[in-house]
Amino acid sequence: MGPLFTASDEWSFVIALVIGIAFGYLLESAGFSSSRKLAGVFYGYDFVVLQVFFSAAITAAVGLLFFEYFGWIDLSAIWVNRFYTGSAILGGAIMGFGFVIGGFCPGTSACASAIGKIDAMLFLGGFIIGVVIFDAFYPFYEKFYKSGNQGPIKIYESLGMNREVFLLLFVVFAIFAFVATAYIQQRVSQKSKKY
Amino acid sequence: MAFVLIGLALLLVLLPEKHASKQLKPEQLLQEINDNTRYMTTDEVAEKLIYGDAYLQLIDVRSADNFQKFHLKGAVNIPLDSILNKDEKGNYEYEDILNQDVKTNVFYSNGTVYANQAWILLRRLNFKNNYVMKGGLNRWIETVIQPQRPLQTASQEEFYLYNFRRAASMFFGGGSVSSVPAEDNTPAPIIKKKGGKKEEEGGC
Repeated sequence: MGPLFTASDEWSFVIALVIGIAFGYLLESAGFSSSRKLAGVFYGYDFVVLQVFFSAAITAAVGLLFFEYFGWIDLSAIWVNRFYTGSAILGGAIMGFGFVIGGFCPGTSACASAIGKIDAMLFLGGFIIGVVIFDAFYPFYEKFYKSGNQGPIKIYESLGMNREVFLLLFVVFAIFAFVATAYIQQRVSQKSKKY
Repeated sequence: MAFVLIGLALLLVLLPEKHASKQLKPEQLLQEINDNTRYMTTDEVAEKLIYGDAYLQLIDVRSADNFQKFHLKGAVNIPLDSILNKDEKGNYEYEDILNQDVKTNVFYSNGTVYANQAWILLRRLNFKNNYVMKGGLNRWIETVIQPQRPLQTASQEEFYLYNFRRAASMFFGGGSVSSVPAEDNTPAPIIKKKGGKKEEEGGC
């Protein structure tokens, strides 16, 4: 089963638009346009973000490995981003601070802007200004940006593990995280009721 | 739902590796064919044989008859037409030899073409650690068994190489090799013609 459309196909943008709209719709349906809900993960009163993304990741991973097993998909043909150690650490920290301060991540800010939330529009504006600044001064930190290039490495490869065994452990870990976060959420909501 | 996901993930671990030996994509194969890193020169092979490299595995892809008549030291015979033979279970009969991480397999035939065909077939199956002796046995005779003395104006490296080849010639060819420089003018051109022709025709 080959790709339905090649990368150079003019339909790529149309498909990207359709997928984007569907993604935005699902984010909004799951309540991800609320900054209170998104920031809840940092304060312990709402872990829906973690639960949704973890369940999406494990469902997709299990599904993709079965697809590969049946010969429906060639995983080696899927593009995997390169892993740059320095920029992954710094970028992760900036993203984390931005998330906890602003209450949105880039995708959810677009989603919330679309339904008219002013804080999300301001967040999105800041996000665009950040992109422009990053682009303007790129030569200054290009060296750092590309430092620690480990290629398109995958976690199980870096750990020297079997892919399927890693997935099994990851699924178990995700489910453990669901249970643990549900417990934390319960405790936090009980405390907040007391006060 | 959680148990379903764990069950499916466990099933993936337990499933037999159906698609483990995945074929190489044509684009990647083309790239590997063009980059020529599969070739090993006759001098490199000779050096490995002289030093008794335990990781070298020579594979003669000519017919069993030709193999019986002459073959390189330590070579095994896997004729090209039976290289993809399968056993009763449907596995490749020679996979243990042709797809492993320990030894370096070097294919040779009389020229380069048949060895190249073997390499391409196996690379398509994503078998690793396989190389081709460039020029095959014709080139082996020209360079290792009957090396030609370089011109007086040749560089020092060429003389070093010639000395190595003479030593290798003694190692592989025995006493008759000592007379090679004297015979340089007569038999060598004939062998050279054979080698050139066959290489172009298909190397058999």
